Amino acid sequence: MADFQVWLVHWLAHAAPPIATFMRSKWGWPMMESIHFLGLSMLVGCVGAFDLRLLGVGKRIPIAALHKLIPLGLLGFAINVTSGSTFLLTEPDQYIYNPSFQFKVLFIACAGINALMFYKTSWGRATADNAIPDAPKAAKVAAVISLSVWISVIVCGRLLTFFRPGPCPTSGPGLIADCTPHSKAR
Amino acid sequence: MNLLAWIESTAFSEWVRGSPSLFAFPGILSCHTVGMGLAAGINAAIAFRILGVAPGVPLAEMQRFLPAMWFGFWLNFFSGIALLIGYPTKALTNPDFYLKLALIAAGVWLVGRIRERMDGFPKGLAIASLICWGGAITSGRLLAYTYRHLMAVGF
Repeated sequence: MADFQVWLVHWLAHAAPPIATFMRSKWGWPMMESIHFLGLSMLVGCVGAFDLRLLGVGKRIPIAALHKLIPLGLLGFAINVTSGSTFLLTEPDQYIYNPSFQFKVLFIACAGINALMFYKTSWGRATADNAIPDAPKAAKVAAVISLSVWISVIVCGRLLTFFRPGPCPTSGPGLIADCTPHSKAR
Repeated sequence: MNLLAWIESTAFSEWVRGSPSLFAFPGILSCHTVGMGLAAGINAAIAFRILGVAPGVPLAEMQRFLPAMWFGFWLNFFSGIALLIGYPTKALTNPDFYLKLALIAAGVWLVGRIRERMDGFPKGLAIASLICWGGAITSGRLLAYTYRHLMAVGF
């Protein structure tokens, strides 16, 4: 894994020089960060409102009708994958070796798996024409997981700067590098 | 200036700024970001509904999400005050900080106006709300890049 991380950092660092140049300009990084926070709010607002409905807030709202907000939440997510990539392409070693970033990616994957499970297991029952206002228990579990996981994603993102990876000890990195390996690849 | 220096000399201010604990600056900042997502995000969801997204949702019922919005707002009110006590000079000497506060004040005012006129689908107010909360996020993010004085000492 550590070897893969070294390769990935090297690849990212050379993938899109114009983006890195833009990001190092005076307002490049601050502008992308602002966009990242706008996307975050779209995602958390739309997905969070839907999760709260599954948990029983606004029971008179048909679940299928409120679900029409989810595409805007996904748009927020797409905005953040795009803006997030510009950070990654500019300072890859600050992210790939950062444990906070590693957990952030893990939590995003959990959010994706949780959403897929929700659509597979309880979506049909929650949105059937004769569905009762109270969402199925499995849907409520999915909503709690979704809320917790997205909050964790935000916290990990915010903690990134407090876990900047330092150089690895002479014993080298562990299985997953959370330090910058001594490598000619940089 | 003496007041700012005094705030910076208090134990709480020093704790916010300098404690290695994750519950100090990193934790307060994390709370502030989660609260931002809730406050701005729920307001955005209501604005999107007014602008025509999810037409099957009774608009008045969107108000059920307002308690979550206010939870985010108050979380940010208090975490914001903690951050302000940590770096009072940094914020209060930056015009961008007052722009952020004005945008939030306008956004909060709009929440009430939108509630009053829910039946009429106030699209203009919804767009104004998106601009205010989006502007508050942007001006807040840029605080880290636009300050002129970090601390009262040497100011």
